Amino acid sequence: MRLKITVTIALSLVILIFGMAVGSVYITPADSLAIVWHKITGAAAPDHIKDTYVSIIWDIRLPRALLAFVVGSALSISGAVMQSVLKNPLASSYTLGVSSGASLGAAIVIICGLTVPALQMFTLPVVGFALGLGTILLAISISSRLDANLENNTIILTGMVISLFINAVVTLASALSREHIQRLIYWQMGSFQLKEWSTLFVLFPIVLAASFAVAHFNRELDMLTFGEEQAKTMGVDTKRVKWALLIIAAAMTGSAISFVGVIGFVDLVAPHIVRKIFGAAHRYVIPMSAVLGGGFMVLCDLAARTLIPLQELPVGAVTAVIGAPFFTYVYFSKRKARAC
Amino acid sequence: MLKVENVSAGYGGATVVRGVSFSLDKNESICIIGPNGCGKTTLLRAVAGLLPYSGSVELDGKPLRKMKLREIAKKIAMLSQISGIYFSYSVFETVMMGRYLHMRDSFFGAPSERDRELVFECLRAVDLTDAAGKEISALSGGQLQRVFFARALAQEPEVILLDEPTNHLDIKYQIELIEYLKEWSRAGGHRAVGVLHDINLAMRLSENMLIMKDGAVAAEGRAGEKIDSAMLRDVYGVDVVDFMRRSLRRWDGMK
Repeated sequence: MRLKITVTIALSLVILIFGMAVGSVYITPADSLAIVWHKITGAAAPDHIKDTYVSIIWDIRLPRALLAFVVGSALSISGAVMQSVLKNPLASSYTLGVSSGASLGAAIVIICGLTVPALQMFTLPVVGFALGLGTILLAISISSRLDANLENNTIILTGMVISLFINAVVTLASALSREHIQRLIYWQMGSFQLKEWSTLFVLFPIVLAASFAVAHFNRELDMLTFGEEQAKTMGVDTKRVKWALLIIAAAMTGSAISFVGVIGFVDLVAPHIVRKIFGAAHRYVIPMSAVLGGGFMVLCDLAARTLIPLQELPVGAVTAVIGAPFFTYVYFSKRKARAC
Repeated sequence: MLKVENVSAGYGGATVVRGVSFSLDKNESICIIGPNGCGKTTLLRAVAGLLPYSGSVELDGKPLRKMKLREIAKKIAMLSQISGIYFSYSVFETVMMGRYLHMRDSFFGAPSERDRELVFECLRAVDLTDAAGKEISALSGGQLQRVFFARALAQEPEVILLDEPTNHLDIKYQIELIEYLKEWSRAGGHRAVGVLHDINLAMRLSENMLIMKDGAVAAEGRAGEKIDSAMLRDVYGVDVVDFMRRSLRRWDGMK
């Protein structure tokens, strides 16, 4: 187990380094690290490194790669939580309407050209986050009215219905305001383009705090996968824990995608791969989802910006293109292993 | 004493259990039998605090309604009928979950030596020590049932509520589980409440019987005193005693 963990972490670090080194200008990994070292410690950078390289690494690629990592971690942890809490391997922020709520928020901001003075450039993220969280709260409150015990199918159905409804509203809204349609569509495909340190400084503390909160509930998460009733008879205050976990997970996804747009599939894929490698116990699933999901996202972003020269692909599409076949492979190879 | 008084419960608007009462002293057990749909499981779930109910359930003078979920789980464990497994854990991890309340204070802390020992003790009780490292998704229904029984034991409860605990088990493990429960409930202030389909096993577990029909108590008391052929025929709609006698005759003839 220790070996697996070490290898995974090392692999993610390597990906992170390549996320800095590779691009329209190739800067060797050693030079990239030297630049980071130079910036952090203030030590002099080696002479052969150009100033523009320093700026490319420090101002553009490092914050971008780190942001991709943090977003990937946030999405993966939140996916793992939703799958376990809802006892549903296909649950994700999509199923509960977080993504569509955030999309609606983005649509409102973009179409109306809304800027809240106090928030400035953070208007879109904040509104997106609020509506994303609002959607899941709506889904939970409707389903808890239908069924006080928050039965799992009810909440997924409710989330899907709300999600479909809101998506339709967003589609209608974009159809009616053609001048904004491009920006809206791009937002719905997700991108780490033009992200600076400031975004990271806002997102990182949120994700870190939420991750610790989730990790704190790792035993409860284990027990919830056996169903609410069994968890209850073992002493888990299921209603409280379930609410808390769903809201933390929604907040993680909501805040992540509201900065970078909708990115799917990582939240679905990463936790499944982690469970396959490390087993289902959440004391491993949570931290390893963060590492693996983060690394995967950096890799996808790297692909998004380098596969076609001088053009940037939407990272949300890349995650799906890489993720879907990989997921199918993992899922079916797992089936086979269990059958015999 | 576990005292269930005039308990009614159901789902949504429908009342499934109507005014059931029984009580159970320490170091005693009781088995609940009755035809399908008579409310046995519902009664058990109400007693476990999983369903809202009217009436009262008291454990050693304390009403369960006033106890927190956690306090109830410290005293009462429940073995439900097994359902689907969504994510697989090892047998050891699964049984360790029963220790939740005993070790919930540490943040990322590993289980204590005593927790580990106790888990192995419980695994020994269900004859699964060798399977400790196995994934539960790779187990048979019967093995899984025993894992869950071990998990209930690991809670170190005073009361175990069992819903069809012998389902999925082969005859050897059926007998072993019942014998184990019988021993378990005779000492240490333990009590077992078992919902069983098999009347033979039920009588083997306990002389105390509660027979239900249509959500209400049809008969209650010592098996030798309160149960007779006519009553069983009335409850099950089939001549149970006659069936058992004819079965016995077949066995008597076997070499």
